[in-house]
Amino acid sequence: MMFNLAAFSLYDLAFIIIAGITVTAALGVVLFKNIIYSALSLILAFLGAAAIYFQLNSSFLGVIQILVYAGAISVLIIFAIMLVMNRPAGESNLSSPRTREVFTGATITAMLFTALIAVIGFTQWPIGAKPGPDNSLGLLADLLLGDYVIAFEAAAILLLVAVVGAIILAKGGENK
Amino acid sequence: MEALFINLAEAFTGWMIRLGLNPAWAESILLLVKWIIVITIITVNIIILIWLERKISAFFQERLGPNRLGPFGIFQTVADAIKLLTKEDIVPSAADKLIFKTAPMFFIVVAVMLYTVIPMGKDMEVINLNIGLLFFISVGSLSTIALLMAGWGSNNKWSLMGAVRSVAQMVSYEIPLAFSLLGVVMITGSLNLQDIVAAQDKWWFIVLQPIAFITYFIAATAELNRGPFDMPEAEQELTGGAYTEYTGMRWALFFLAEYTNLVAVSALMATVFLGGWQGPWLPSWLWIIIKTYAVILVFFWVKWTFPRIRMDHLMSFSWKVLVPVSLGNILLTGAGIYFCRWMGWC
Amino acid sequence: MKGQGLIKGLGITLKHFFQKEITEQYPDVMPELAPRFRGCLRFQFEKCIACGICVNNCPNDVLSFETEKSDKSKKKKLLSYSIDFQYCMFCNLCVEGCPTNCLYFDHDFELSSFEREDIKMIYLRPEGLDEAEDSQAEPEEQEDKEQKQIEAMLKALQKNPQKVLSRLLEGEEDINILSELIQSDQKTAGKIAELMIKDKEKALKVARGFINKEKKNRAQQEMDGGKGGDNDV
Repeated sequence: MMFNLAAFSLYDLAFIIIAGITVTAALGVVLFKNIIYSALSLILAFLGAAAIYFQLNSSFLGVIQILVYAGAISVLIIFAIMLVMNRPAGESNLSSPRTREVFTGATITAMLFTALIAVIGFTQWPIGAKPGPDNSLGLLADLLLGDYVIAFEAAAILLLVAVVGAIILAKGGENK
Repeated sequence: MEALFINLAEAFTGWMIRLGLNPAWAESILLLVKWIIVITIITVNIIILIWLERKISAFFQERLGPNRLGPFGIFQTVADAIKLLTKEDIVPSAADKLIFKTAPMFFIVVAVMLYTVIPMGKDMEVINLNIGLLFFISVGSLSTIALLMAGWGSNNKWSLMGAVRSVAQMVSYEIPLAFSLLGVVMITGSLNLQDIVAAQDKWWFIVLQPIAFITYFIAATAELNRGPFDMPEAEQELTGGAYTEYTGMRWALFFLAEYTNLVAVSALMATVFLGGWQGPWLPSWLWIIIKTYAVILVFFWVKWTFPRIRMDHLMSFSWKVLVPVSLGNILLTGAGIYFCRWMGWC
Repeated sequence: MKGQGLIKGLGITLKHFFQKEITEQYPDVMPELAPRFRGCLRFQFEKCIACGICVNNCPNDVLSFETEKSDKSKKKKLLSYSIDFQYCMFCNLCVEGCPTNCLYFDHDFELSSFEREDIKMIYLRPEGLDEAEDSQAEPEEQEDKEQKQIEAMLKALQKNPQKVLSRLLEGEEDINILSELIQSDQKTAGKIAELMIKDKEKALKVARGFINKEKKNRAQQEMDGGKGGDNDV
């Protein structure tokens, strides 16, 4: 590691703070006994991720992260929790009492973690090649609505169908 | 006069660099100072705004409004603020204390974050973000979580009811809110608010996008939880909604955040639809203030005219009227742009 | 068109925005009250005749009074009059019923007080009222005077009837007869004396009646006595 104290800037300080918050929040999601706390720390983790996107000069992704995950998905999660929670809040997110499940979870987590480390380690990162594009939004728009417009629209229609289907399933539909 | 604040900022940075500070650190400190100024302006402005709303609502009802403390009762809000500051801070024993205490802080932080991107004059903004409009919408959507936290943390049925209502309402109205702004974005071809302002040097977008303006106004009223869409608070039904259990300064923070949101949304409306800081004779920062206040007055006017809408009507209005109308507006704008190009006007 | 009502509503509020405020700045500017405004119920002690109509009329038992019965006359004497104003509903029935108009509503509406007892208004009999009433109440005094006169007359009648009766009657025979009657009968004497003071004409009539009756009696006795005398002789 080339940790140079002289080159330590405000940018790095901000990154350390944000990364610390994000990781702590992500740990909180797993470790909190109260599932509402878990959901809220999930929001904090989302926001931290968004902040890291901003720092990496990818503000569009950051904003979308806030809009979709922190603003919408998390509200959905909290709503779902509130609607189905049937035990005291303090013991709503306990770890499984069965050792086999704990073991399975730990194994999957360890495998995922190893895979991630491996991917990060073996990838050739173009360090310092060039700063990210300034107008990432324009490039993204060109890609989404130009080269990959069919895929983009297909995904949009798929989502629409899913939404309509969900509503019909929830409402029960009409009996013929 | 025009570049008053910019010159001040430059002088401040120059002074710090002359003191022997690293330019990057000087820039960061300037950012901090900008933030402190923004927060101060927000707070002082809210004191005036609350007084103004009370006064104007009184005039709408042929009353006098506050008129005891100071000329025209202008110090009434100051007295109220002192009262709120000195009040006992009550946390209900059955409340989820951590969530209960963080909710107002989160709300005010989110509200203040909105000011990051609003251009307060020519070349005057905290950060000139490339996707300022999108940032505004996405950060604005975060306030739902604060209300949800307040409602859940209070452990009170009225609070939870108010929170559930406000979340349902805000999630529903975010869609027409974003869609109505899309028309403007299509014409400008940019999400940068300075670009949007610059695009309005001939025609304000309220002329080019009247439907978008109206849908945005309605959706913003709902997003701000203001009357006639103040279902989440609904004093008569929910005894204050998500704020029921809050007292003293915590409650004041919610109140402050609501007005902060109001000013931010009004400033955005002025920026996007009313030509922003552009205007003759007066300096640009004065123009944005005038326009923002004009929009705020319309918000007051609407609030004190219409009765509260029923919850199901509110939701069906959003999904069945506003969303189709704003989608139609996008279609119309697209068609208009192509027609314009075909005719060779632009 | 839909939405017209919204614009109309906005117009209405805008119109009211520019209209004059109707707020009364109450402690600074006193409100203008209608002439028959019912503020505080007031009572005039001098006028009250203690008839009790107001108390009977009152639906909420607001009013009450204390009286004292004097030995000398039938009239009730009002000692105190109290209005327990906290129960008053300003129905005006007491004022309407009062025959002497001693109750009335004035325009004082600032009735709040710190103590519950302070709301109750008690009117005590004013100091000077007894003397004032004495000078007014001549009939009673006259009665006293008459009584004395009658007593004096009675004494005079019993002492020297002829002289007194000569003022009433003419003819010595009649006077003698009546004076004999008076001396023999206390009751007749009292009646004649009373009537002589009060009403001379009536006294004359009654006296004549007595005399005639006596004359008839005597004539009867003479007839009887003549026979008897015959028998005696």
